[in-house]
Amino acid sequence: MLEDYFRQYGLIAIFTAIAVILPGSLLVVSWLLSFLRIRPSKPNDVKRSPYECGMELIGDRWPQFNFRYYMFAILFVVFDVETIFIYPWAVQFKQLGFFAFAEMLVFILILVIGWAYAWNHKALEWR
Amino acid sequence: MTLHDLYLLSPELSLASLGMVVIILDMVLRRKGVLAAVSVVGLLAPLAFSISLWGDLSGEPDGQMVGIFNTLVVDKFSLFFKFLVMGIVALVVMSSVEYVSRLRQFQGEYYGLMLFSASGMMLLAATTDLISTYVALELTTLPLVALAAFLRDSRSTEAGIKFLLLSAMSSAVLLYGMTLTYGFTGTTQLVEIFERLGASLDATVPFGSHALFLGVIMIVAGFGFKIAAVPFQMWVPDVYEGAPTPITAYLSVASKAAGFAIILRVFYIGFGEISLDWAALFAVLSAVSMTVGNLVAIAQKNIKRMLAYSTIAHAGFLMVGVASIAARVPVGETTLGPSGVLFYLVAYAVTNLAAFFAIIAISNRTGSDMISSFAGMGRRAPFLAIILAFAIVSLLGIPPTAGFMGKLYMFSAAMKSDLAWLVVVGVVNSAISAYYYLKVIRVMYMVDPEGEEKIHVAYAPQAALYITALGILALGIFPGPLMTVAEKAVAVLFR
Repeated sequence: MLEDYFRQYGLIAIFTAIAVILPGSLLVVSWLLSFLRIRPSKPNDVKRSPYECGMELIGDRWPQFNFRYYMFAILFVVFDVETIFIYPWAVQFKQLGFFAFAEMLVFILILVIGWAYAWNHKALEWR
Repeated sequence: MTLHDLYLLSPELSLASLGMVVIILDMVLRRKGVLAAVSVVGLLAPLAFSISLWGDLSGEPDGQMVGIFNTLVVDKFSLFFKFLVMGIVALVVMSSVEYVSRLRQFQGEYYGLMLFSASGMMLLAATTDLISTYVALELTTLPLVALAAFLRDSRSTEAGIKFLLLSAMSSAVLLYGMTLTYGFTGTTQLVEIFERLGASLDATVPFGSHALFLGVIMIVAGFGFKIAAVPFQMWVPDVYEGAPTPITAYLSVASKAAGFAIILRVFYIGFGEISLDWAALFAVLSAVSMTVGNLVAIAQKNIKRMLAYSTIAHAGFLMVGVASIAARVPVGETTLGPSGVLFYLVAYAVTNLAAFFAIIAISNRTGSDMISSFAGMGRRAPFLAIILAFAIVSLLGIPPTAGFMGKLYMFSAAMKSDLAWLVVVGVVNSAISAYYYLKVIRVMYMVDPEGEEKIHVAYAPQAALYITALGILALGIFPGPLMTVAEKAVAVLFR
């Protein structure tokens, strides 16, 4: 049984080795080819940018985000979780009966209190 | 989940609802003074439910009611801690009235978070399953973290961050320990852990198995953080110093009581088979905690830091009772160890709260926590000084105080379980602690005051002071009734 246990880790070790060697060898081969002038080296601004396509980059890498964004993120997560919780409840609504209905009401009541609290403390205003 | 389950949970649920009501009232009301009154009066609801549950217990053949998929139990042990936590909350709220009225915002949150944390502590004493233990532990800790950082100055913020990071760390260690235990036994239920351990232990290995050895030590580390035992005490002085003083008082008694509740339940019920092994572990931790706490306290100039180290030392004294499990193995079924822990927790609660309430009242006026700022308080505030001196005498363990009776029970339990060396360490430590405790009394009565202005105390904190001081005296003179209740409470641990 212990052997089995280590065999599992052996598989992971082989996988890790391949995952490191394959991309690593590509880099090494590319570096070696540059000596043979098969791989030309002509850097320019577009090539050196982190993403070659998509949005154009603006500003520095370490901009300061507005701290208020954090409040909205938290409130969003709260309601996100609520949706996830309500969905299976709604699917099973008939089987669960009245008790689950009352429990969901309590849950939503607690969320509403939290939401009223955030509103009351002006967390929803962008200042 | 049935209505009966809800009834079993009713003290915790009503306490948490009370916390929400206080926060809602804070949004609606202009006069914030009402909030403290609502918090104290509202405690009558969980109190009534707890009394009703206590009454129902007499009808149960095995003295317990199990609910919510066997994760929660209502027995006299958990109810004992419910009453203790409610008492502590009521007293701390009363003593915070003046302190909180000077906060510019978040007064409702202050009381609300305290009540949320208390509901976690009540739950913690009632859990019989490792997973619900963990949930209750987090419910206890997270509001306390917010409260420690409540003042939002640099010290308080530092306290909050340290508390948050270190408690997250200790939770991780605790969870790892629980995982190993689960891996070894295949269950998270304490009673089932006990049953399955009996068959599968190897007597040649400490703790009966290598996995369990590691698991139990990690669980001890996780709980040791809660009760501020050395070597898991690093957070205590900084958090105690930075947190608002009433919260420091609350942390030092309530959080410790809840920690010991869960230690007693997990180890006496879950790991009863290997009691001799972990009893030795707790005995060593106890000796180290007492010694380190008392020696470092000598050097402190800030009274909150000094009491923080004294808390560590008292965690050591309390662990003497936990280590006295061996007493049940030989002749004469004695429950003195754990029932002594329960008695000591109540005695320590009234004593430490009295000391902290006097300190809050004095430093509200002087604006300083330094021991030197207590100079001449014997003249400036005779009433506060005498109560602080009395509390200190009780912390030291001199009769006729609660602290003396507590130490007496602890040490006699240790003697009965052949832990004479631990008693010697304890007595030597009591002598060491006299040095720094009596220093405060000396400063109050024999050093000239910095000013002549008298110090006045509002009604509610004054009432809290009277109650705690009376408690110290009453428990010191008539320990019998409380001890009888404590013995009934711990009976569920011995089955």
